[in-house]
Parts: sequence; structure tokens; C-alpha cells
Amino acid sequence: MTTAYAIETANLEKTYRSRFRGREIRAVSNLTLRVPAGVKFGLLGPNGAGKTTFVKMLLAAVNPTAGSAALFGKDARHPESRRPVGYLPENHRFPTYFTGRGMLDFYAALSGLASRERKRRIPEMLELVGLKDWGDVRIKKYSKGMLQRLGLAQALIHRPRLLILDEPTDGVDPVGRREIRDVLNRLIGTGVSIFINSHLLSEVESFCEYVAILNHGHLVLEGKISSLIAGRGYRMAVTQIPEQALARIRRLGATVVSSTEPIEIQVVTREEANEVIDQVRAAGGLIESVSASTSSLEDVFIRATASEKAA
Amino acid sequence: MTAEGLTRSKPRVFAALISDTFQEARARWLFGGLFALSTLLICIFLFVLQIDLVQGAISILGIQSTTRTLDVGRFVRTSYSFIAIFLYIWGTLLAIFASSGLIPSVLEPGRISLLLSKPITRPELLLGRYAGNVLVIAANHIYLIASIWIIIGVKTGIWEKRFLFAIPASLVIFAVLLCVVVLVGVLSESAALSVMVSVALMLISAILAQTNFMLRVLNPGWSRHLWMTLYWIVPKVYDLANAMKQIVILDRQADWWTPVWTSAVFGVVILSGALYAFQKRDF
Repeated sequence: MTTAYAIETANLEKTYRSRFRGREIRAVSNLTLRVPAGVKFGLLGPNGAGKTTFVKMLLAAVNPTAGSAALFGKDARHPESRRPVGYLPENHRFPTYFTGRGMLDFYAALSGLASRERKRRIPEMLELVGLKDWGDVRIKKYSKGMLQRLGLAQALIHRPRLLILDEPTDGVDPVGRREIRDVLNRLIGTGVSIFINSHLLSEVESFCEYVAILNHGHLVLEGKISSLIAGRGYRMAVTQIPEQALARIRRLGATVVSSTEPIEIQVVTREEANEVIDQVRAAGGLIESVSASTSSLEDVFIRATASEKAA
Repeated sequence: MTAEGLTRSKPRVFAALISDTFQEARARWLFGGLFALSTLLICIFLFVLQIDLVQGAISILGIQSTTRTLDVGRFVRTSYSFIAIFLYIWGTLLAIFASSGLIPSVLEPGRISLLLSKPITRPELLLGRYAGNVLVIAANHIYLIASIWIIIGVKTGIWEKRFLFAIPASLVIFAVLLCVVVLVGVLSESAALSVMVSVALMLISAILAQTNFMLRVLNPGWSRHLWMTLYWIVPKVYDLANAMKQIVILDRQADWWTPVWTSAVFGVVILSGALYAFQKRDF
């Protein structure tokens, strides 16, 4: 069965109740989200936003209080829905009695890979994640970065159509992060949907095409990253502009970002941009460039979480 | 190529889970520890059979048996039954201690969420672990009891096959008590509590089994009913040992079936409860 969405949730909700006091904590609230198949999707949110609970509901480790979730159109509660899924959990605890090879064999068997196929895939995976020479070493001797890469190999060994990574670079040094990114980059163009749950904005911004932001269990923003960070105003670079003209431009509401030449001026609306251009030309200044300015994902994130807080 | 070629195979999943349990038991020194203790017991037994007093007793019994003053067979059977009961209690207790950590360990955060993300059901996961645990203990029980049987057989020339009844008897009781370990493990994730509850249940079962005496001394009718109800509910650790003794010593058909099936019903109910609790839990 093919479906346009790798992940589809409708009004998904999780409320934790303390056993004795009856206190309720709503970890995820009324979450409706669609992740198209084949894209790289980032789920962002501050700590405690409900990201991991959401991922665990997708993988049936947490039972939803209400709503529904589906993976490639199949009810996420059904084990078969998880067959095309590879998962790397946050704070994983792989049994340390395994060797790298043994661990891959175990999880691949649980994923449904036949013995012959496992024998073929394990060396390929060890090679892919750069652990070719470590396959027969017990994983208690592995570094954090090596464990993450082995975890990634475990998630990829059965050729999943959806890869769910929960904080994949958490606690990994910059070199390890780059190695993980390299492995993920090799998946681009293979049709695998990648869903990254992270609180590292730069990681999501540099890798993902789509993003959703969760805060206090609510979905506060969702969309294509390029659209979200574009169209936040106009920035122009000007030269040879007298100080008095610059003062007039400031009074129009424009922000002078840099006062050394070329002077950078930031405005919000198109009308303001045109007015500033008129002022610059009237004062004999030269316009070097005008461009629609973008904001970083961090700006988007802070605005989204702050406005949700205010609401 | 994506995941389309993957197949659902329950035997493969169970084999992987059982193999994982064996590997964990080996890594935690449970497997080696159990076998080392069993080997130690076997060595002690060999040593006891070598000392002069026992050697002499065996020789005397051999001579006297020809004059028919002593029933050697009965003497050996009595020894067998005491050894069988000792192994039954020793093996069961040791097995509970050894197994108590194997359920909570699989429920550790970061481990369980990855296991649950695989295309297997929760009952499959728990039952695979349970089966692995039973097989680890079965391997040890067979090694211990069969070794002692062979030693006695070689030494006395009497091969009492009924002694081997201790293997299934210990395994049945262990399998039932393991259900309790699983339930307590799933609910509390505490290995220590699992051991406490299971061992307490063994003792309670032995006390409740004194029905003849208790029915005489308990006065109000309801208390007798309560006693008997509790007796029928809990696993019959004592009754099965008693049945084993009768079968081995007296060479007669004892009622072993009743303690087995009532204990099995208890085990099934408790394991179902564990599966239900496991199904409902969030990890």
C-alpha cells in the first residue's frame, strides 16, 4: 500500500496521570500533523515540549490518551506499521554484552530480516557507519559517537522507508556529529523519509526541508523551512549617503544595521523599502543591493514559542 | 530497495529473544554462576560418595542385600528422594535469584523503547523473554539433576529413573514462580522485590499445604473455607515435592497431576496479568 504520508496523526493526545494524587500532565495536546513521504522533517521544541512522547506514540511505546496515529497509512498501534520504520532512540541503552555485529544481528532479526540477508547486510552497515573494524568488539568499549553510529546502522539495516531519529547528535562531539550527518546525507535521494526530533535548531535547519515546532505539547508552527525563514523584510546596502539623510531614514522606522560602508538598512514592509530608496536617491546616495531578508530558524523558533507562551 | 522484502516470522523473533536472554544471562555471570554452583554441588556429592563411611555403607548394603536383611533398593530410593527434594528446593531458589534481574533489565528506558519500535507485539516480547529464562534454567536443572543421577547410578549400580522426575517437577514450579517474577518485574521493575515475593510465595505455599492439621484446629467454618481457598489458589510447591517423594521412594503413583495443573492455572493467570500490565504501560 502506498500513501502520500509517512506519518499522519489526528488530534493525538497524551495525558499522564500520577497514580496516587490523580494529578494530570498533558504532554501532547490535540496534535494533528502530516509528514509527507520521502522528505526530511524536523520536529523542534524546547525541553519538555512533548517531542519524545510524540515519537513514542508513533512507535507504540506510549499509549495515546486520544486521537490516532498512522505510519504509511497503517494504524501505528499495529506492529506491522513499524516494519518499514528504523528508529534511533534518545538516551539509548544498547545491551553492552553484544558486539557490534551481534547487536545488529539481534535487532535485524526482530525487524524481520532473514538470516542470510542479515549476514549480507551487517558488513555493509558496519562499513557505512565507519565501524568495519569494530564489528567483533563488545560495544561497552565503544565511544558515544560510535554508539550513535552503530545505533544508526541498527535503524538502517532493514532498509526502512522511514527513519525516526530522536536527538541523534545529543552528547556527541562535533566530529561525531559530522560523521552522523555524513551517513544521513548518503540517504538523500534514496526515497527514505527522515524524521529528526531535536532541540538543536542549526542541525534541523541545515538538514531538513520541513519543520514542526512543539511547545508545551501543542503544535505551534509547521511548514517548509525555506518558506518559514523567508520574507521577513527587506535589506539594502547603500553608499555615499549623508548623515542627515540617514537620520531621516531612521525616523521612517528603518533599522540601520551597519553604519560603516556599505551601510546596511533593514525595513519590514515593501512600502518602507520604497520610501527608503527614494530618500537615498534624493540625498545622492548609491544603492548597492536590495534583497528580501530572511530570518534564521532560531528567530522563527523564538517567535513561535514566545507567541504561544503569550497566548 | 526498502523494507518491502521483510517478512513476519514468529519463530525468528522468538529465537532472537531467547538467544538474547542466553547472552544476557551469560554476560551477567548468571549462566556461568549457576553452572559453577551446580558443578560445585556435584563435586561435593562425588566427594561424599568417596569418603570411607559412605563407601563402607554401600559395601555393607551390598553384602547384606545378598542375605536379604536390608532392602538396598529402598535405601537408595530414600536417598534419592532426599536428594531430589534438596535439588528441587535448591534449584528453584537459585533459579529465582538468577532470573529476577532478567525482566527488569529489558524494561530499562532506552532499551525497551527500541525493542517496542520493532514489528513485534508486546506479548511476543515478554513471552520470548520468559521462554528464554525458562530455557536457561532448564539447561542448568538438566545438567545438575542428570549428573547426580549418573553419579549415584555408577556408584550403586541402581539406575532409578524416577529420580529424574525432579527435573520436570522443579521446572514446573520454577516456570510458575517465574510468572510472579515477571508480574512483579513489570509492575515495579525491581529485581529484589520479585525475589522477595516469589520466595514468600514458596513459604506461604508450604504453610497453606498443611491442610489436614489446619482444618482440625481452625474453628469457625469461614476460616477453614478461607484457608482452603487460599490453598487452592497458590502454587503447590510443597505438594509437588511431596508427590515427588512418594513417586521416588515408594515407587507408587502419587497425585502429581493436581499440584501441577492448579499451579499451572495460577501461573497462567499471573502471566496474563503481567501481559495485561505490560500492554498498558507507557515506556
